[in-house]
Amino acid sequence: MGFVDYVQAIIDGLLFGTTYSLIGIGFTLVFGVMQKINMSYAAGSLAGAYCGLVGPQLMGLPPWSVFPLSIAASGVIGYLIYLTCFRFIPLASPLATLMSTVGMLLLLDEIIVHSTAGMPQNYPAIYDGDPIEIGDFMLRADLVGVFLVCVVAMAVLLALLYRTRLGMATRAVAQQPVAAQLCGMRLQAVNGLTFVIAGLLGGVAGAMIGASVGMLSPLIAGPITVKGLIVTVIGGLGSIPGAIVAGLMVGAAENLFQALRNVTERDIYVMLLLFVFLVVRPGGLFSGRGHD
Amino acid sequence: MRKTALLLGSAFVALAGLAVTGPAGAQERSVVIKGFGAKSGVVRSFGVNSEAAMRAAAELINSQGGVKLGDGATGKIEVEFLDDRCTAEEGISVVRRIASGPTLVAIGPTCSNVAEPLFGVLQKKAGDASDSGLQFPIFTDVAIKGGLAKISEWAFRNVPSEAEMYTSLFSWVKQTKPDLKTIFAGVEENFAHSRATWYAVMKEAAPKAGLEVKGEAKWLLEDTNFAQQVREIKAAAPDILAIAAHPFTTCGVLKEMRRQGVKVKMLIGLTSSSSLETLQGCAREAEGIVIPTSFAPVNQAAEAAAAQAAKFNGSLDLHSAATYENMFILKKLMEEQGVLAKPDTVQADREKIRKGLAALKETGGLLGTSKRTDDREAVKPYLYVHAKDGKWVVLHNPVTN
Repeated sequence: MGFVDYVQAIIDGLLFGTTYSLIGIGFTLVFGVMQKINMSYAAGSLAGAYCGLVGPQLMGLPPWSVFPLSIAASGVIGYLIYLTCFRFIPLASPLATLMSTVGMLLLLDEIIVHSTAGMPQNYPAIYDGDPIEIGDFMLRADLVGVFLVCVVAMAVLLALLYRTRLGMATRAVAQQPVAAQLCGMRLQAVNGLTFVIAGLLGGVAGAMIGASVGMLSPLIAGPITVKGLIVTVIGGLGSIPGAIVAGLMVGAAENLFQALRNVTERDIYVMLLLFVFLVVRPGGLFSGRGHD
Repeated sequence: MRKTALLLGSAFVALAGLAVTGPAGAQERSVVIKGFGAKSGVVRSFGVNSEAAMRAAAELINSQGGVKLGDGATGKIEVEFLDDRCTAEEGISVVRRIASGPTLVAIGPTCSNVAEPLFGVLQKKAGDASDSGLQFPIFTDVAIKGGLAKISEWAFRNVPSEAEMYTSLFSWVKQTKPDLKTIFAGVEENFAHSRATWYAVMKEAAPKAGLEVKGEAKWLLEDTNFAQQVREIKAAAPDILAIAAHPFTTCGVLKEMRRQGVKVKMLIGLTSSSSLETLQGCAREAEGIVIPTSFAPVNQAAEAAAAQAAKFNGSLDLHSAATYENMFILKKLMEEQGVLAKPDTVQADREKIRKGLAALKETGGLLGTSKRTDDREAVKPYLYVHAKDGKWVVLHNPVTN
């Protein structure tokens, strides 16, 4: 392995890291608003991607329909998760929603396993052509596409949060729930909408993960959940810019560690990175800037 | 008059009762065989197919008169399949539960990481009074990692010998394609079967067939990004790429190879990948991959068995075909050993089954006769299949060619 390989590994990691960023944003968005972790977020995103396959596989729709269907289904799943795991659960108990969302993660996983018998499902790529070669480096064209889609999704989310009344309401509820209620904002409605928005974003992430791997398998849910949590912690709980940067960082770091050491040691170093942040900068990368 | 009618009525009821529970009823007993394996989690398809094969075989055996028990009675096979979730703790717990009831023998598990510790809780040496291990026969159908049955004299397996199959495959490759000289592997490092098959089987067998091993690229079972590994494959530029991995990552790597435009002259896959999963995940990219297997519907018996399993919503592959075979092997053996299947003879029947299995020198199977080894393993007939137009097609049959 030489310098070119290491740089190439980092490029691959950055491109794939955008999907981690999206998952991290989903975690952080919900945490920002409700101060709760939704452990079933990544599983819900992948469940949405699986639902998207119903279009081409069972309804005879064109392959591209899988993407909007995945996103829409994930939004619906996001709302259902809100209803079942948050809406009627006592929010004062810190463990209640954690356990309910862990349960939901397992439930979604088993539903997928039972409906597909655990078999991997082919998922269409967003672009199926040759890779882009720049000198010694090679960029997977579809991953560049995934990267761009994820960047656009993040830009739309940021615009939604900072340029619309809905975004203002979401941020108000996140920062001062009582004051927001006194100003006439409906807490439950904002919370529910936040789950739908996070779900839609997760749908993009799930679809892009499916598109970049070329397949969906229930195997993916666990590792993506862990990566999403790492990204959220490194980025700073509740910080959207932090989740974006941390997602790219984790993607690049894991690929670099794999190139430098070994695939079996890769996750050890990623976890060590997490511990370093927890010790040195427990608030995460963007802790100084407060919650969004 | 009323008294006579009452008497006649009672007599009629008594006779009717005798007719129902009479000779046939009194002489018919249940022979309980339980299956266990993964029916949830990502390897659920193994359990689904094993259960279907078990039920298919049981239905056929029962419809043909059942099992002839030692006292002349008829035994009807009763099947139940339990989920061990492919985890050792649950596998051990499931078997302890099974062993506490009337079950005479169990078929399973599906995962080698369950089989290995599970066999460890069985009595190591049969009849050893100082060993309090479980005295219960297990006839494994799916868990394929080499040499596990030697752990306990109560453990038996009817799984193909991968060492034999890959040694034969590499020799055949060398004979038929002498221009292929180098081999490189892709290995799923954190799955017992995949690792063992590359390091202990293929990597040993390839040089003996005259192939130069150029190394291996590694990944994990749940990996989603294979860009680096495929670059390693590209850099090694092998003639043959052996992928010791399960369908999800096998497909992931094959798709990445297509994206990066990496081609090899020959692809060889892991035995467990000769399944519907691979074709469902990446039929286009897997085109041409060669895999040795101990089952394909190449004769009437195999075709009929596959059709029978399909009735129970299962697919017969090298693993579930073994489940199907095990049921018939057990039926024959129970008849030969004079199993009684009475509530008070459960442990004696289990011992008879164990002795019978241990004494077997060969067994019948869907592809032909399998030999039994002294360490309670099978040497099964096999053939090579390759993926062609989205189907598994027989490429070469070493038995008939």
